[in-house]
Amino acid sequence: MEYLQCLYAFLAGIPFCVFFRVRGSSIFWMSLGGAIGWFFYLFSAPVGNDILQFFIGTLALALYAEIMARVRRAPATGYLHVALFPLVPGGGIYYTMEYCIAGDMDRFLETGMHTLSTAGALALGILVVSTLARIFTLLAGEGGERMR
Amino acid sequence: MEYEKLLDVVTEAGALLLRSGAEIYRVEESIMRICEAYGAGPGDVFAIPSCIYVTLTRPQGAPLTRVKRILDRETNLDCVDRTNDVCRRICREKPPLDEAQRLLQEVKARPDYSAAVKLAVSPMTGFFFCLFYGGGLSDAVWAGLCSVALRLLLWGLERLRVNSFFCNLLGGALSGGVAMAAVSLGLAQNADTIIIGVLMNLVPGIVITTFMRDMMAGDVVAGLIRFCESLLVATAIALGVGAALMVPRLLFGV
Repeated sequence: MEYLQCLYAFLAGIPFCVFFRVRGSSIFWMSLGGAIGWFFYLFSAPVGNDILQFFIGTLALALYAEIMARVRRAPATGYLHVALFPLVPGGGIYYTMEYCIAGDMDRFLETGMHTLSTAGALALGILVVSTLARIFTLLAGEGGERMR
Repeated sequence: MEYEKLLDVVTEAGALLLRSGAEIYRVEESIMRICEAYGAGPGDVFAIPSCIYVTLTRPQGAPLTRVKRILDRETNLDCVDRTNDVCRRICREKPPLDEAQRLLQEVKARPDYSAAVKLAVSPMTGFFFCLFYGGGLSDAVWAGLCSVALRLLLWGLERLRVNSFFCNLLGGALSGGVAMAAVSLGLAQNADTIIIGVLMNLVPGIVITTFMRDMMAGDVVAGLIRFCESLLVATAIALGVGAALMVPRLLFGV
């Protein structure tokens, strides 16, 4: 039942592809990235730490983006941008500011730190994969013509 | 070798990428690669979200510098994709600079979806994100309706050239107001999931993640700018929603 969220993540990605002027079959592949990221987030639930879960989800998503970038010869930017939507701390940043305005300093700091850590986990996951992809491509001897 | 024209081409390519939401490192790298391809040395590039500086050093004569200010930014993944293609092609084939410029103009002229199509898909954002965050079906329907209203509001404000702080503030107020109204009339259950589902349209989460990525990739200045941006976006949204939740309480004492 929980995994139904992956379907929602996929379907929610489609309108964003349209807003971002993506055309053709890329709409499907980009939205699919969001579902993959969220699937691995849920799948890694046994680790019991949601920051680590976000990190694992992002690793999977970024790996998918890098693979798709090479298969479809397009920059990974789009795949990352659309696929990140379900994982980003949209709610977290909203609650943080709400507590701030309400003057609830303890919860403001707590939620704020959690939001920042989540964003950090996402950014780190993407960077780890893109750095490895870069090294891999260089070692594979395509230094001159990188696909990214 | 016409350094002036080359400078035009590289700044145009960089500006297209930056304006459409490409990463800073991609912008800088693309510019440097084109310069190298035409044998104009590596060139010095510095890009931040709102500006690109490029300097070419000529073998004889003074160095050439161009500053390109980026005023309007809008995520356009099609443009990132095409411009990236064109940059790679320029590096590979080294066409005459006029030809390169024409290729970039072609990218600019690519069509957008019509307003009707965008409006038609807009309820999907709120609807599915509301379900995603654990809202019920009735909540999701309201979030979908509210997404359409938000999209219309943003278009109207864009026409009036209202700055993005007030766009986000009014957007937050609209979603907060609709969610509160729906819940207090008994038409929906969770105001929170409706509000967060709708607010995904204003992409606060993407901005904060991008700032972290820029920081960690070493583009610290760009990261700082995006950090301030994300704070502004979040504050505007929270103020808007806060006002929408507060006003009825003051008026009706709910």
